[in-house]
Amino acid sequence: MNDSILIVGGGPAGLAAAHALARVGRHSVLIDKAERLGGAPILSGYAKLVPSGEWAKDAIGGMVERVRGDSLVEVHTGATVRSFDGSPGDFTAQLSDGATVRAGAAILATGFTHFDSLNKPEWGFGTFPDVVTTTQVEQMISSGRGVRCPSDGRKPQRVAILLCVGSRDRQIGREWCSKICCTVSANLAMEIREELPDCHVYIYYMDIRTFGLYETKYYWRSQEEFKIKYIKARIAEVTSDGTKLIVKGEDTLVKRPVTIPFDLVVHAIGMDPNLDNKTIASTFGVELEPHGYLARRNTYGNMAETTRAGVFVAGAATGPETIDDSIGQGHAAALSALGSLGAAKATA
Amino acid sequence: MPIHEKELIRPEDLRTHEQLTVDGVDVSGHWSTFIRSRVVTDYNEAMQEEVAALPGGEFIHRCWQCGSCTNACTVNAVNPDFNPRFWIYLVRMGMEAELLRDKDIVWQCVSCNKCTHICPRDVNPEGVMKAISHWLELKGHTPKSPAMVFDEVFSDQVIRRGKIEDGRTIRRFFARTGQALQQDWLIEMAKRLVRHLPIGLLARLGFSAAIAPRTRDWSRARAAIEEYVQAEHAAQRSALGLDAPDSPATTREGA
Ligand SMILES: Cc1cc2nc3c(=O)[nH]c(=O)nc-3n(C[C@H](O)[C@H](O)[C@H](O)COP(=O)(O)OP(=O)(O)OC[C@H]3O[C@@H](n4cnc5c(N)ncnc54)[C@H](O)[C@@H]3O)c2cc1C
Ligand code: SF4
Ligand code: SF4
Ligand code: SF4
Repeated sequence: MNDSILIVGGGPAGLAAAHALARVGRHSVLIDKAERLGGAPILSGYAKLVPSGEWAKDAIGGMVERVRGDSLVEVHTGATVRSFDGSPGDFTAQLSDGATVRAGAAILATGFTHFDSLNKPEWGFGTFPDVVTTTQVEQMISSGRGVRCPSDGRKPQRVAILLCVGSRDRQIGREWCSKICCTVSANLAMEIREELPDCHVYIYYMDIRTFGLYETKYYWRSQEEFKIKYIKARIAEVTSDGTKLIVKGEDTLVKRPVTIPFDLVVHAIGMDPNLDNKTIASTFGVELEPHGYLARRNTYGNMAETTRAGVFVAGAATGPETIDDSIGQGHAAALSALGSLGAAKATA
Repeated sequence: MPIHEKELIRPEDLRTHEQLTVDGVDVSGHWSTFIRSRVVTDYNEAMQEEVAALPGGEFIHRCWQCGSCTNACTVNAVNPDFNPRFWIYLVRMGMEAELLRDKDIVWQCVSCNKCTHICPRDVNPEGVMKAISHWLELKGHTPKSPAMVFDEVFSDQVIRRGKIEDGRTIRRFFARTGQALQQDWLIEMAKRLVRHLPIGLLARLGFSAAIAPRTRDWSRARAAIEEYVQAEHAAQRSALGLDAPDSPATTREGA
């Protein structure tokens, strides 16, 4: 019987689980393959987060510090799990850094992989330097450099944000909606207008999914206060006339083709299943759901269960998730893991 | 771009060469007919701000194109080309040339405000229709609409006297829109008024028509209102990038 809990992935979900366990006096081992903790918001340098407006480095950085300073959390960065054997209450994991971890339960908080825009060549990423992703724009803002055209560093006068890049697209086998990119795009659009008030920002959409309370704060506000223009069109191609990017598509509301010059085109990239998921599935003996994320055993019973007893899952590993929901799921997984230890003890 | 619907092909975009040989093949006449792409490059990005600067147009940028206004619209029910949702979009996106194709029907809005009461975003589409008509006039795309002339004649009376005299309003309106004063419906209305109105009221109507009294001590109020109206007109014209305001004296007759 081992009381410690193994947490794989130190993003918002894993950090939340480790902190929750420490608060109830439980020891955990948190491992992350990256050299730093913090997950996507830190590793990819996000700027101000939806919906709090706090800088990622403060909000998520704070979660990292809290865990780093806690003696109940043993952290291994730059490490993955090589093998995982045993049964609930008594698992053994071999890490790539040579360490052996004994744990009564495990939480997989391995997150997602950013969609690689090279897979949609018609939208110009990789061909034209001024076609960038939302992640790059986040970095331009969070680094303090401001939003500029990578080709020559000029301030863009016209920016197009293309939604659903790498999501909702059967051509590339991705049927899911990545859930947060509409809101993130509206947020970035407002930040661009704040920094560059003379810059026109257009968002090309199929649907706007600024769900729940984000409707007011992001969709309505971006239109009403920041005059962001939303055009219902899925862009057909992005080309260049040598000086400007040329965006072509159909403005579906007026049944008319559009060909518009832009300085900067931003891909609102989606959240793919973690590229490691197949390896993770075989190492931990858990199943994937049809899109390739880690499958949850049930929706309403015990939260966060995978298809293997004693192994739990939280955050974007289960599908596109927001940070706050990932944190909530991290807490839920911690509680379920504790519960499973209690059950294992009772039967031991 | 593919052509989605035949109705989108406009005659002015059809091109035919009388004499044309391509790679040695004679494609003269209708064999060479092709449709010019309808790509529009002349976006007027100032258009939304311009319309927003005119009374009623303030909230145009809120529109999310749900179409509730057009569905509810009184005029649309009679004339499907009357489409407030569509025009709001054209203005927002700066598709000026496209809007001008409908310039002669925008003013037909009857201000029933059905659209206003159904709009989920509080765009005030009725006001926007007014602002767009106004914009078309100020930019010289359309002559003053009868509705606008009536508004002017009406407010002119109020400004000059602090009172309205209906007969005078109607006479001036007809004169300025080139309509005959002897209209069957008007004669009929006058007859019935005479027949049915109490004598006292008739006498007062007759008195106002003959004397056109002013509200007492009106001149200071009038000066203030005129100054305000002039300032508003100047602001509107400058928002539209037009120079000197058209002075009220040139558009209004003497009292
Ligand atoms: C451009 C963009 C902007 C966004 N902005 C916001 C926002 O403003 N607000 C918001 O709520 N959400 C936002 N999101 C979503 C947000 O990124 C996710 O909700 C969040 O990162 C999910 O947290 P997580 O801990 O589940 O996963 P992740 O953040 O992906 O963390 C997973 C961690 O696991 C590690 N890991 C992965 N595989 C392994 C492995 N095999 N072994 C060991 N470690 C592994 C990774 O290194 C990583 O540290 C945004 C997403 C994108 C793409
Ligand atoms: S959240 Fe919006 S941009 Fe992202 S996939 Fe869904 S609909 Fe597309
Ligand atoms: S106010 Fe004008 S636009 Fe609105 S419903 Fe009535 S006629 Fe139509
Ligand atoms: S009802 Fe309002 S929001 Fe909807 S299309 Fe008309 S003006 Fe726009």
